[in-house]
Amino acid sequence: MVEEGVAAREGAAGGRGGVREGGVARGRAGARAAERDETAGLVVRAREGDGGAWARLVERYTSFLWAIARSYELNDADAADVVQTTWMRLVERIDAIEEPAATGRWLAVTARRESARTARRRGREAVGGVPPAAADASAAPERIVLARERLDRVAAAIEALPRRCRALLRLYALAPSHADLAAAMEMPAGSVTSARRRCMGRLERRLAR
Amino acid sequence: MTEDDLLARIRAAFHDADPVPDGVLASGRSAFSWRTRDAGLAELARDEEPRAARSVRGTAARALTFAGPGGLTVEIEVAGRGREITGRLVPATSARVTVRHLGTAPGELTAYADGSGQFALPSVPEGLFSLVFDLPDATSVVTSWVRL
Repeated sequence: MVEEGVAAREGAAGGRGGVREGGVARGRAGARAAERDETAGLVVRAREGDGGAWARLVERYTSFLWAIARSYELNDADAADVVQTTWMRLVERIDAIEEPAATGRWLAVTARRESARTARRRGREAVGGVPPAAADASAAPERIVLARERLDRVAAAIEALPRRCRALLRLYALAPSHADLAAAMEMPAGSVTSARRRCMGRLERRLAR
Repeated sequence: MTEDDLLARIRAAFHDADPVPDGVLASGRSAFSWRTRDAGLAELARDEEPRAARSVRGTAARALTFAGPGGLTVEIEVAGRGREITGRLVPATSARVTVRHLGTAPGELTAYADGSGQFALPSVPEGLFSLVFDLPDATSVVTSWVRL
């Protein structure tokens, strides 16, 4: 089965969600700026050779792709490999993309599959007697201390959530669109919405205490 | 707190605790320089890892198949700690084979496929790699990037 082909079809099947500002808070961008930074437009311009558009695409999606890799509990090196592989795979097929607007979903699915493959390989290595890569606290995203000295109430409340909710809220906060989120979660858009509401509700109740 | 405010706080909390390393952003940006517009793409169609029980001795091979344009198939096996690659082109054709690797100078690792389409590369370093085939009809085919 051709992996990329499947990914593209899966992406194309996803719904089109509203586009939110992802990544680091960017302040209020005007409607024209939002249009200029829209994924499809960036892909089309990158394809025409615009390196600046490519760089903006990378800035728009990298923290989301990193969060996908972390949701599979990959360590720093493996997560970096997954993100890099995902971008290289987009470069090699950028001219073949039929629906540029589906690129975000394709990126999410590709990162998810690469993460799953890496996680499986690490599991096999552990079973086969090869010591797992760096099992210390710094390399285990599961044990990332969200709060340290700069502990604020939101960070503390997130840390107290179940692992799945933490991963989901991170992806939700970083996904450039709802369709990208659904592609990252390998869930239908409707199930993502209910899971996301449940986790946001838990977080809000903790904050209200 | 509105939902947008809360989402901004969630982003800030994760950014604070687990920021994306600079090198990760940089590798994404520089990926664009590997774009090749004049070669057909052979996409990864199959990737079978060796079983754990046998891979401990480094003897089992990882088998990958790439499906290229015009029905050209690239089959390779990666074996041993040195990642020796043996492969063949189906249908059989001669070709110049060049390794693209992020940590190796371009053109440093090359081989030739003979008339039977078979080729061998004694050792390929770890990391992202792709093969370029320059075919007798002056066209080129590249395989998908794969991590060895």
